[in-house]
Amino acid sequence: MKPLRIALTKGRLEKDTVGVLEKIGLDCTQVREKGRRLILPVGNGEIEVVLAKAADVITYVENGVCDLGVVGKDTIMENGSHFFEILDLGFGRCRFALACRKGTDFFGGYKAKTVASKYPNVARQFFESRAMDVRIIKIEGSVELAPLLGLADGIVDIVETGTTLKENGLEVVETIAQISARLIANTASLKMRKREIEALAEKLENCIAKERENA
Amino acid sequence: MKKFNKITPEGTKDILFEECLAQRTVSGRLAQVFRMRGYNEVITPGLEYYDVFDAEDAAIPQYEMYKSTDNKGRLIVFRPDLTLPIARLTATRLQSVEKPIRLYYNQPVYRNRKDLSGRSDESTQAGIELLGAAGLRADIEVITAAVDALSACTEHFRLELGNARFFKALADELPVSADRKEDIRLTIESKNYAALGDMLDALEPSLYTEAIRKLPRLFGGAEVFAEAERFCAGHPVLSETLNYMRTLYAALSALGLGDRLMVDFGLVQRNDYYTGVVFSAYVENHGDAVLLGGRYDNLLKQFDAPMPAIGFAADVDALAAVLLDAGAIEAAPTPEVLVHAQHGFEIRAQMVIRELTAQGKICESSVFETAEAARAYAKRRGIPQVIELGGEADV
Repeated sequence: MKPLRIALTKGRLEKDTVGVLEKIGLDCTQVREKGRRLILPVGNGEIEVVLAKAADVITYVENGVCDLGVVGKDTIMENGSHFFEILDLGFGRCRFALACRKGTDFFGGYKAKTVASKYPNVARQFFESRAMDVRIIKIEGSVELAPLLGLADGIVDIVETGTTLKENGLEVVETIAQISARLIANTASLKMRKREIEALAEKLENCIAKERENA
Repeated sequence: MKKFNKITPEGTKDILFEECLAQRTVSGRLAQVFRMRGYNEVITPGLEYYDVFDAEDAAIPQYEMYKSTDNKGRLIVFRPDLTLPIARLTATRLQSVEKPIRLYYNQPVYRNRKDLSGRSDESTQAGIELLGAAGLRADIEVITAAVDALSACTEHFRLELGNARFFKALADELPVSADRKEDIRLTIESKNYAALGDMLDALEPSLYTEAIRKLPRLFGGAEVFAEAERFCAGHPVLSETLNYMRTLYAALSALGLGDRLMVDFGLVQRNDYYTGVVFSAYVENHGDAVLLGGRYDNLLKQFDAPMPAIGFAADVDALAAVLLDAGAIEAAPTPEVLVHAQHGFEIRAQMVIRELTAQGKICESSVFETAEAARAYAKRRGIPQVIELGGEADV
């Protein structure tokens, strides 16, 4: 039998996922000592972990070369959804928010607003749902700069604690969506390998529920 | 100006040799299955008016269609789907034909996909529509044809059955707007348990909120019926639908598919369009369904010819890939014979080729000036036999 292949988002989500995998009794030594390898066996070889950038996790799962993936809701919202989203893993919590310079009224006035974001699709969808025409500018790095430099009236970005916003004289106008890590599954894989995937998802779900109780 | 004269548009590709042969093989096998079951082939235009695909409750998203205008400025699209053109055709040209009408097709469809997603904008679909027939017999007929079509290409598929009426009936029991129902349907379609849970938590808990919460997990073998029994009992539409699905599943089990036949009550794709049984099939190593179908009793009404109908479309490209993966398609064959003629013997050579090809041998004629060049070519290509005409031996 082919191993079940899970794509993990490199970095913090990877560490948190490995933590949960170990708690449900899967040996993750190879992932912890991965070196530069990107495909690693987990447990007794029944699972294979693939390390990828967030948006690529979705691409691999959508195209069916990975059966499962762990990826933030932020990436899912930005990059589309031709897959099953089967479990909220609870970690990696933050939120999408609209922020602007402290003391300014983002929704005030009749002039079309300009918004800077690393997440243009999320921004576009949010303003579409408000029937607002806004100009969206894609920024790759620190989005906070855009309103400070006068390029944009506001930003749509991920907010964790809000410290960065505060230190740059910005404030949240509105929360757009809550974010956390999700377990996603390829549509065909979930049908072809239902038992394996359901068993794993159930173990993960129980483990997360138990931790929530203890917390 | 930069010219794009050496590439094909994104999402399209040239299909060569064994890949081409694999597609033709799949098309041929499916056509054989359809034809022998009494379905007749139709070809609809590659260009259609936009309005055909703007049908209420069956619309294709406008951003997914390739659009243009005709010479009167009317909006036309590159055919994005085949069921709607066939509904149009049935409602107009086949009005007076004896029902049921059995049609099959094998044509490309065009969809404007997201950039760089690796999906094709052009793909070939082969399928059938059984129009003017309702009920168990018609459903069994079309699903069995789907099983036969898949079996003609591979043994390793899974076919799952659902019914659009489950979600419709359950959602009607919820005190929510039509938009909210659609949001709920989308979370079930993507099996997004978390978002579905949040939406249902905001409602007064009832038997039906709990049933909808379970819906995306209600897939598997016959055991699913027992689980569904709890919330279906006592509700006229739900219990009737459940009984119907039980009967259908039991009937189809006799086809001997074993655990390749599954039930999925969370199958809510295009729920606005399907009105009864829905089904889809999956194969190994292909990340998406290779066959999709269902009953759509309200569609023909939109073309002013109300009649029940059921059909399915198979993804020919995906099934061709299955044949290639299985090694069932041979690479482009090397000719068995090369025929070289001296000047003046060209027609003689063509006569020899006619004889040999009639015997089933793949034969090339030499276009070289000399016999040496022809022999050298045969050696490079690995053609085992060279026939020379008009040489000393031949004269």
